[in-house]
Amino acid sequence: MIVVALAVPFAVGVLLVLARRFVPSRVAAWAGAAAMAVTLALYALVWEGSEGVSGRVDAPWIEPLGARLQLGVTAVSWPFALMTAFIGLLCCLWLVADDTAPALVGLVLVVSASALGVFSSLDALLLFVFFELALIPMWFVIALWGTGDARRAATRFLLFTVTGSALLLVGIVIGAVRGGSLELIDIRPDAVAVVLITLGFAVKTPIVPLHTWLPDAHSAAPTVGSVLLASVFLKLGTYGLLVFVEPSDHIGVVAPYLAVTGAFGIVWSALACYAQDDLKRLIAYSSIGHMGFVVLAVATRSDVGVAAAVFGSVAHGVVTGLLFFAAGSMKDRYGTTSMTRIGRGLYARTPWLAVTFVLAAVATLGLPGLAGFWGEVLSLRAAYDVGEVLSRPVAWTGLGLALLGIALTTAYVVRAVRLLAQGEPVPSDADRDLEVREAVVMGALVAAVVVLGLAPQLLLDVVQPLSAGVLR
Amino acid sequence: MIRRWGYVGITAVLAVVVAIWAVPELGRDTVTFVTIGQTGPDGGPPLPSLSPDLLIYPGTAQILLLAVGVGLLVQIYSTAYLGHHPRYRSYALVIVLFLIAMIAVVGTTNLWVLLVGWEVMGLCSYLLIGHEWESPVARAGAAKAFLVTRIADLGLVMAIIVIGETYGTYDIVGAQVAQSEQPRHATLIGLLVLVAVVGKSAQFPLHTWLPDAMPGPTPITALIHAATMVAAGVYLAARLFQLYADSQVVLTAMAVVAAITMLMGALFAWVQTDLKRALAWSTVSQLALMLAAVAVGDPEAGTDHLLAHGVFKALLFLGCGCVMLAVGSSALSSMGGLRRRMPVTFWTMTAGFAALAGLVPTAGFFTKDSVLHAIERATDGDRGLAAGTAWVLLVVALVTTFVTAAYATRLWVLTFFGAGHGAGPHGTLGQDVREAPLAMAGPLVVLAVATFALSVGQPLHLGTGLLSTVIAVAGVAAVLVAARRGSTLAWAPRPLAAELWLDRPFSRWILALGTGASRVVVELDREVVDVYPRGGESLAATISRGLGLAQSRNVQRYATVLAVGVVMLVVIGVVVS
Repeated sequence: MIVVALAVPFAVGVLLVLARRFVPSRVAAWAGAAAMAVTLALYALVWEGSEGVSGRVDAPWIEPLGARLQLGVTAVSWPFALMTAFIGLLCCLWLVADDTAPALVGLVLVVSASALGVFSSLDALLLFVFFELALIPMWFVIALWGTGDARRAATRFLLFTVTGSALLLVGIVIGAVRGGSLELIDIRPDAVAVVLITLGFAVKTPIVPLHTWLPDAHSAAPTVGSVLLASVFLKLGTYGLLVFVEPSDHIGVVAPYLAVTGAFGIVWSALACYAQDDLKRLIAYSSIGHMGFVVLAVATRSDVGVAAAVFGSVAHGVVTGLLFFAAGSMKDRYGTTSMTRIGRGLYARTPWLAVTFVLAAVATLGLPGLAGFWGEVLSLRAAYDVGEVLSRPVAWTGLGLALLGIALTTAYVVRAVRLLAQGEPVPSDADRDLEVREAVVMGALVAAVVVLGLAPQLLLDVVQPLSAGVLR
Repeated sequence: MIRRWGYVGITAVLAVVVAIWAVPELGRDTVTFVTIGQTGPDGGPPLPSLSPDLLIYPGTAQILLLAVGVGLLVQIYSTAYLGHHPRYRSYALVIVLFLIAMIAVVGTTNLWVLLVGWEVMGLCSYLLIGHEWESPVARAGAAKAFLVTRIADLGLVMAIIVIGETYGTYDIVGAQVAQSEQPRHATLIGLLVLVAVVGKSAQFPLHTWLPDAMPGPTPITALIHAATMVAAGVYLAARLFQLYADSQVVLTAMAVVAAITMLMGALFAWVQTDLKRALAWSTVSQLALMLAAVAVGDPEAGTDHLLAHGVFKALLFLGCGCVMLAVGSSALSSMGGLRRRMPVTFWTMTAGFAALAGLVPTAGFFTKDSVLHAIERATDGDRGLAAGTAWVLLVVALVTTFVTAAYATRLWVLTFFGAGHGAGPHGTLGQDVREAPLAMAGPLVVLAVATFALSVGQPLHLGTGLLSTVIAVAGVAAVLVAARRGSTLAWAPRPLAAELWLDRPFSRWILALGTGASRVVVELDREVVDVYPRGGESLAATISRGLGLAQSRNVQRYATVLAVGVVMLVVIGVVVS
């Protein structure tokens, strides 16, 4: 089932890229949406329960290396996969417009499918291959359809990630040699390998100070590119930390640094957000803060920490996806994402867009009752508990920084709402409220944000019985 | 018109549902332990969930009824006050959302549900203060209110986490049961709760947001910033009281906060030139009185006063709205001499002011009497609070009683009396100054009746009752005498008029600090953190240029390099072997 779920978007994506001159825009987008819908449905159906692996596929692949085509989803990876398929579907629906390039749809499909491959791999080498496979199409998405200095931003993104991947590969090889197998559950990285792997995923997550590629890439990318980068690509980093670093016996080597830099990143990014004028850069920086909560949770190495990391990642996917779609709507209308140039009073100019934006903004600051909150509060709880590997001063330093970061987050969100939604309206010719396709995409995400916020058990029940059993 | 009453209908349905649920519980004073929280598999608390776990404690039924009752009256009032506003729909719907959140806070034993309600209330408050978002004052007030309360709310988040880790459950009843077996971490929990309470109930030093929230529509002020949300802080302190009752540190801190805030709020209320802002300071002061009751170990007295205050302060704010509609401003200078033009508003607000001043036979008198009595009992020193602290608190409370009676009388005189029919800019009252429409006056009458009705069955403590009556009457009389002698009642020393400059840290310093820090961060991000990619880039460029030199297409140079290499290899080979 998983093989089909991966093959369909890959095949459709490659076909669309190859046949880009012969396919009408809308047909391409609808084909992409259909492919992603199939994938989403298959991933939803494949679930067999939190115990063990669902939908396991096992076939020989590169015999001399001992690498096998092992696919399947666990209690940790399934929420990531579902979120990715959901976001991929919405991205395709977003592209249902007359001016869409069919190749862009194809690339979106390939990127989504590669990310799904990462979340579904049970073999470390296979995971790495999918991990790299997602990069190149992303470079094209940013460089060809981006705005501003897109080529440079795309290349920076690629170089940062590839450098991280190199470290990661060395780490995986060391772990595989010591563990005697490339299977994820057998990998035994030693202290050096854990450091390398952590650095590799730290670039991707990203953790301050390895984050400088992110604001450029996210703000230069087209709307779907930003959404995929934030909602899906950053999750490759947190998922990697969860799967490789969290279960490792040597996590103690990196855990204190992860906890402190993660929590420090929350404060750092919140302060950076407060000074931004470009809405997309602001959202990009806010992502760093949210990933900081996830990193802090991973560093505690506890059941609550795992739940926090999974919930935080999925919630960030839907909340930030919504924010980027809203920012994309503004960009489509006003040709810019500069908040001063968009102008004040969107409440009056484009009421539904403004309300959606404010809801997303409020969700991003972690209002209880919306999705963003539970990941944060579970992180705080994990840090308060200290966990297995941290010392109390370190964990509580992280806790203090995280609390400060939440306060600062409120400040920049309120500022953004004030600059955009409120204020004496400055009408513009471009003022028009949501189109149907925008309303559908954002409506789906709003529903996800509210449902996850009011019924966190839906997700927590999947993760909760995980404990040590599945991953290790 | 019909659509406007539709929202009233929704609110009415909500009120009826709550009444059906809460009214049978009114007389009960025991609680059946229906839900005891489950613990997680390893003895730790379970992962958070939002199962509603509705439960009515003794005393909370009244608060629920107060919330939906005032909410309903405010919706009716708003049909006339704000009915023609283009954004009436969002306004009315946010009120409904607010009421649901308030019900969640008061009617649950699940701390997470309480937290969600608590924060959604804060969000609704933010949206409603900023309802007139075209005006900069409203935007600033809304932002400030949201920021201050949300930062304080982190105290509640942490308190919930600590309660969960300490007692293994997120259920209030469960935690109380566990606490009665083995109390732990009382000081930590208590201080964290206190932070949340100080923020939500606008107590010193986080008090400045409430007066700045006054640009919000007046019915909203009556509902959220007088009767329900700000009072929820006191409710929380009372509800979780058992968990920190053993900690003298917490009780002392609470008493000190309450003492400072009640006197400060009352003095600030005296010097205001704006009726609405004066009432806001009055709310701050009254909330401190309720908090004092909790601090001296009598949370029931606190919630009783909460109830009475909710009714009479909502009455005063709604009356203030009627006056504002009539004269077009909330400045005291544009009022005066209104008692003949607006008889209903005059008489109902008179009842409200009497309750605020604590005069017999209003509910305000009886509940304030209970609070004073509770403080007086605590002066024996064996109720958790040191005797000295309790004495100071008692003296401050009595002084506050005097100031409260005085400023209530001052506001009453300046609004409704005055020789020349209004000391306003126009000299005389315009022809359009007339009584508010029925939809606005009706709620006033209901609330005025409730102000008296709530005193039925209240306990009376003769000693403190007499003392506080004497003090209150003295305060009223002093102001009346001064007014009769022609005083303008404008005694306002500069420090008080400037509200002791306590707003500065919030309006300037923290803002400047945040802006400065964020600029520095952006600079650092660009100039310093980005050094290693740029460094790597130039390193790579240098190396490639260096290597490029080697590929010069010059055969002689290639040959030279080749020869030198061979020689070196030979030398190395010889040396090593």
